[in-house]
Amino acid sequence: MKIAIKTLLASTVLTGLAAVSAQAQVADNSRLKTVLDRGSLLCTGHNGSFLGFAEVDDKGVWKGLDVQLCKALSAGLFGTSEGHLEIVPVSWAQRWPALQSGDVDVIIKTSGWTQSRDTELNLAFSTPYFIGAFQVMTHASLGAEKVADLDGGTICVNAGTSVERSIANYAHSNGLDIEILTYENGDEIRNSYYEGRCDGWVEWAPALATGRVDAPDGADAHVILPDVIELEAEAIIIPEGDADWLDVQNWMLSSLWFAELNGITSANVDEMKANPDSPQIATFLGVSPGYGTRLGLSDDWAYNMIKEVGNMGEIYARSMGADSPYKLDRGVNALYTEGGVFYPLQID
Amino acid sequence: MSDTSFPARPSVFGNLKTRYFNGPVNSTVTVVLAALALWVLYGLANWALVHAVWGVDQGDACRANRDGACWSIIATRWRIVLFGLYPFEEQWRSGLACLIMVVVAVLSCVPWFWSARRLPILWVAGFTAFYILMRGGFFGLPEVVERNWGGLALTVFIFSAVCLIGMPLAICFALLRQSSLPWVARAMGLIIDTIRSLPLLAIMFTFAIVLPFALPEWAIGESLYRVIIGYSLFFACYQAEIIRGGIQSLPSGQEEAAKALGLGYWHRIGYIILPQAFRNALPPTINQFVITFKETTLVTIIGFFDVMTSGRTASGTADWSFATLEMYVFLALLFFVFVFSLSRYGAYLERRLGVGTR
Repeated sequence: MKIAIKTLLASTVLTGLAAVSAQAQVADNSRLKTVLDRGSLLCTGHNGSFLGFAEVDDKGVWKGLDVQLCKALSAGLFGTSEGHLEIVPVSWAQRWPALQSGDVDVIIKTSGWTQSRDTELNLAFSTPYFIGAFQVMTHASLGAEKVADLDGGTICVNAGTSVERSIANYAHSNGLDIEILTYENGDEIRNSYYEGRCDGWVEWAPALATGRVDAPDGADAHVILPDVIELEAEAIIIPEGDADWLDVQNWMLSSLWFAELNGITSANVDEMKANPDSPQIATFLGVSPGYGTRLGLSDDWAYNMIKEVGNMGEIYARSMGADSPYKLDRGVNALYTEGGVFYPLQID
Repeated sequence: MSDTSFPARPSVFGNLKTRYFNGPVNSTVTVVLAALALWVLYGLANWALVHAVWGVDQGDACRANRDGACWSIIATRWRIVLFGLYPFEEQWRSGLACLIMVVVAVLSCVPWFWSARRLPILWVAGFTAFYILMRGGFFGLPEVVERNWGGLALTVFIFSAVCLIGMPLAICFALLRQSSLPWVARAMGLIIDTIRSLPLLAIMFTFAIVLPFALPEWAIGESLYRVIIGYSLFFACYQAEIIRGGIQSLPSGQEEAAKALGLGYWHRIGYIILPQAFRNALPPTINQFVITFKETTLVTIIGFFDVMTSGRTASGTADWSFATLEMYVFLALLFFVFVFSLSRYGAYLERRLGVGTR
């Protein structure tokens, strides 16, 4: 009898252990554990505003694309970002030390994936979430639809940047006869463009989009051509060697694209959860188990994210795209199904 | 003829005539400059007052009217400038705290408070009230961590904290530098010169960001306080040299006479040397205060929302990005109010103490 009870106990314990090991083994020194224990996420803001990515509304509340991702992450970790998210304003120079010292848990601050950052600074990068493309803005009155239509015209570019070379290469390899004017100073190039000395202006597309809002002849008089001259891949950054925390970042981004690809929005996510279209979506929204626990999170974490900030398409539209004042076409930032470069990972 | 019946008038016109119109060259210069000044003033008044757009949320009206200033940005976004990221519902606390600091500063300019007991009590009470209001966590006030402080309140806090910590430090530094023990004097001189040769920006960056890697866990504290300590050191080094200048400008007979009277070191310093040294060093001291106030804006590099950063943030959104000029004018006015009252107070002190006259 005693032995029977003992065996029973032992098997219960074993089953319990098995259940635990089915859950993710979050390393004790992982930032994920630190964040979950603390009960709030410290995410990067900006020292001021960085148009489209981090801005402050009339009540001092942060908004913008980067901030939305912070919110999504926090909602995924804690169910809601309300009371679980602190946006820490940091300057550009302060980013890396702030991450290493623990002032922030994660850098979501339009930061490009470069080799020196990856190797010398010991940073780890998620899959890129935004392509910072250099594109050409031109006067709508010229009727150009692609850079090739500016053949014979003038394009202005900042001197001494890698874009200066890229645009020259672009023109050469496409057999275009384009005069390239270089400017040392940002204001000069802006004035020259708006005065009509340049037919086109190559610049980081979000900067063009946020700048044309203040165009003297109105934002509608300027179009940003879809051709990508050069690009920088912006990724979420965490300290190197923290696989659990990196997994969460990658799957957070993947979830936002997965939701978009499957038409799951903040508006219909409840409906979707009640009637999932496919077993995959059922797993994704936490109806069937596994999607969250493997990461050390709750199974409905993706549902919580979508519920709060919506899918990647919604986030983009709200911060930078059609529903924002900047109206920057999504272009390469769209899903692969719509001509972009982004895609969700497989859920199995 | 009529001049004789109004004796006061000819003197005014006479003054004008002798000073500004005594000859063709002077007359031309006067007319040209007056016309220029009028033209500038007219343009300014036109822009700032006549064609300006006032009232909350008039962004569209502003965009339509680019001849005048768009004060609507201030009416709509002033809270961000004054309070930064301080939680919206709690901003009255920040406002009140700021007001308390200003009142304390004004009170400490009243001669009645100029005693070794009253002045410290006033400032400690002021700071405690400020801290309780801003930080909260007591008396049912929700807690607001230092990271979320911002705007004018933060600028005022940093400035007064730096001056209050820096001033006693500066006196210590100056006295140590004047020490009769050569190794103390030399070491202090070396420290002062080293810190003075570093840029303030580098010092702030080091204290805010690099120091946590070097300090033990318990000593790290909030980055705001680390920055204040770093800035105070910087302030103290400059101010110490100013005080030393004041001390060295005293005739050596002053100290010798005090010694002859049998006064001890602290009595000599406290009653004879420092009061006179401060009087002599008043103009550069006020200068140092003004510079310190303006340089608080550097804290933006370590992510603090001081009044300047807050202003840029307020205009940094698609709805208002066209109105940066108006925002900078407003910020300039804010700074002007503070710095100008500081200078006027300095001038009052100089008159009162007879600096440069006796």
